[in-house]
Amino acid sequence: MLIDVLPKEHMQQVEHIETWEAAIEFASKPLLEAGYIENVYVKNMIASVNQNGPYIVLMDYFALPHAKAGEGVNQLAMSLLKVNQPVDLKGNPVNIFIVLAAIDADSHMQSLREISRILADEDNYQRFISGDLEQIYQVLQS
Amino acid sequence: MKFLAVCGFGVGSSMVLKMSIEKACKERGIDCEVENTDISSAKGTDAAAIFTSHELGEELKDSVNCPVFPIKRYMDKEEVGQAVDQFQENGGK
Repeated sequence: MLIDVLPKEHMQQVEHIETWEAAIEFASKPLLEAGYIENVYVKNMIASVNQNGPYIVLMDYFALPHAKAGEGVNQLAMSLLKVNQPVDLKGNPVNIFIVLAAIDADSHMQSLREISRILADEDNYQRFISGDLEQIYQVLQS
Repeated sequence: MKFLAVCGFGVGSSMVLKMSIEKACKERGIDCEVENTDISSAKGTDAAAIFTSHELGEELKDSVNCPVFPIKRYMDKEEVGQAVDQFQENGGK
């Protein structure tokens, strides 16, 4: 289940955050504190956007920061940050960041498949982007 | 027929893109296999077409023989669908 990988304790909401780099760092906090990832993974996620471009913005207002699987990752996990005021990620406004910490090439496939399926529904997508954490949590369980 | 979905590491975004391509192909009745991979592996892999970001596409297109379709939103089934349509309109070239 997606919620096993991305439980409520990994979700945060803030009003405003200055830069996308700060947003990725903040979004990573629950995973750092739980020991699921190391600082190097956070640095790698930011470096990837600078090196490879902003393709982690998978849909309008939704980004999936991640870096190389297993490098600075101790356990498969995800965390979520909702920023009420969109953050600019190289020309793309983003309200929701989901950090993906993958340990290998495919153990996170089921979770990504669930996110894809859920957000393919327009109503779900709208509630996901504009909702508070409770609404987001409900959408992700649907 | 094999398509490649490419991102920097071949684990996250490209896996999502692979799902979007599979969905678009299924809707269009196209029989294909989609593999997700990272940019350096993509350079040595044979495929009918490659789908990737604008930035990585620029880097890839000189080192592969197949068409490269830039995708902005990997999870946007309409955008991905349009790229698949374009591949077909071009006669698979």
